Amino acid sequence: MDTATPQVGVALGSEHGLVAQIRLAQGRRHAEQLAPAIEYLLREAQAQPSDLAAIAVGVGPGLFTGLRVGVTTAKVMAQALEIPVVPVPSLDLVAYPVRFTARVIAAVCDARRGEVFYSVYRTVPGGVQRAGEYRVGAPGEVAAELVATGEDLLLVGDGISAHRQMFEDELDRAEFASTSFAYPSPSALVELACSRYRREDFVRASEVQPLYLRKSDAEIAWGPDRAGHEGAP
Amino acid sequence: MTVTDPDLTILGVETSCDETAVGIVSGGADVRSSVIASQVDLHARFGGVVPEVASRAHTQLVNGVLAQALVEAGLTGHDLGAVAACEGPGLAGALLVGVSVGKALALAHGIPYVGVNHMEGHLYAAFLEEPDLAPPMTVLLVSGGHTMIVHMEDHGRYRVLGQTVDDAAGEAFDKVARLLGLGFPGGPVIDRLATRGDPSAVAFPRPMLDEGYDFSFSGLKTAVLVHVRDHGDEQVEDIAASFQEAAVDVLVTKLFRAAEEVGAPTVVLGGGVAANTRLRERVFDEAERRGLHPVVPSPVMCTDNGAMIAAAAFQVLSRVGPTSMRAGAYPGLRLASHPH
Ligand SMILES: [Zn+2]
Repeated sequence: MDTATPQVGVALGSEHGLVAQIRLAQGRRHAEQLAPAIEYLLREAQAQPSDLAAIAVGVGPGLFTGLRVGVTTAKVMAQALEIPVVPVPSLDLVAYPVRFTARVIAAVCDARRGEVFYSVYRTVPGGVQRAGEYRVGAPGEVAAELVATGEDLLLVGDGISAHRQMFEDELDRAEFASTSFAYPSPSALVELACSRYRREDFVRASEVQPLYLRKSDAEIAWGPDRAGHEGAP
Repeated sequence: MTVTDPDLTILGVETSCDETAVGIVSGGADVRSSVIASQVDLHARFGGVVPEVASRAHTQLVNGVLAQALVEAGLTGHDLGAVAACEGPGLAGALLVGVSVGKALALAHGIPYVGVNHMEGHLYAAFLEEPDLAPPMTVLLVSGGHTMIVHMEDHGRYRVLGQTVDDAAGEAFDKVARLLGLGFPGGPVIDRLATRGDPSAVAFPRPMLDEGYDFSFSGLKTAVLVHVRDHGDEQVEDIAASFQEAAVDVLVTKLFRAAEEVGAPTVVLGGGVAANTRLRERVFDEAERRGLHPVVPSPVMCTDNGAMIAAAAFQVLSRVGPTSMRAGAYPGLRLASHPH
């Protein structure tokens, strides 16, 4: 499951392939839609929750409130079912479906408040490999940074759609993935999680942490001065 | 009308503000466990509850609190008959975590989900303390988020007689504590200082004392501010005691006038401010004087907790039935009677 963007995405599958997936992009209805979507998928696949071997979840970066619906649901279901969680960054799930390209992939998701979350990927046999950190920044700065790489780029994600004109102006040689690829892919999540699960690359439910990248407003407003420099860097 | 197993075990989740709480209750009144992870230390340096900080902490703490509640109850998830979560009123982002927890457990165990009104939860905390308690009863709910007098005519039948028109009582305690330089949260520290002060030292106003059942605490807070500015040299204990006395006076006067007017034989105290020593004392005294039955739950049941959500869910489940998995969180939810 992934709820890091306005999309609620749920998929069910195994190493033999995808069984079913649901993608609902109505925005801000995550808490209402996620549980019924999971119920529906399991029912139509004639599966029980107890049949699940692991739960994979997109951990962001993304819009905090929606992101927490998916992360909380995943970690509580996993705890109740006594199964592990495979956390996967949501930006990876935007980059992975467009991997059949010779270009460098920039996955960019809308962070609201005039910012985007982004990361850059190179294609490798069978997938993508991240070539930098997960970051948050103003779209103009991100565009300038991408121009400076001098790479041939493929831009993908709802952060591109939100600032399309600016990205087109700044990056006139880049290619833009269509809007079908704008949100994290739940089927990609199943695919990536299955191979990680096989390598036992998973965590306990209580260890799952959303990738916030941004501090809460109060912590920003509080700042290091008033906080009194507590704690080592 | 649905039929519910009289011994049904319900797990209740409460995350509407800054407590991450899970309680397990059997048969609507038998508390099997109640675990509360308070985030007060996280918020103290901001001088109040910060919604995003609270939501992050709920997500982080919830697995541990769930595990502890089950262990303390000596149960596993398979023993649960239903799961309930507070769906409002409260902080939107914080409520969404609890609702997600509730639905995730319902999904995993294949049991019903019940969305519970936070205020209804506070009302049902009284039944955890006194299982034989029977309505009608008049209830004063006071906390950092709410100040309300409710007449509970019967199970699931509520009449809100009055509420605050500005600050909640607990908010006034916090704000006064801040302007006296006492830190956050204000309730416990004012309570403690007041025991060493003279409650009649300063005649603070009793806002809206004779007007209906609504409350206003913003004027009282301002009166304290003006007084501190003009008489900075006075004992902080006296100011704390005098402020507390004024606030408690208004709360107690209105509660008992309401109980008298509706003819309720029982008065009940609930909410975080119900932990206040002076308020508890005054409710007991006044009830004795008037021959009414006072129910003042222990402080851990008065503050936000998961057991009260589970207790209220038992009633909701047996009278209304489970909540749809399509339900969400409702930050502005009002207390309403159940459909009949
Ligand atoms: Zn409360």
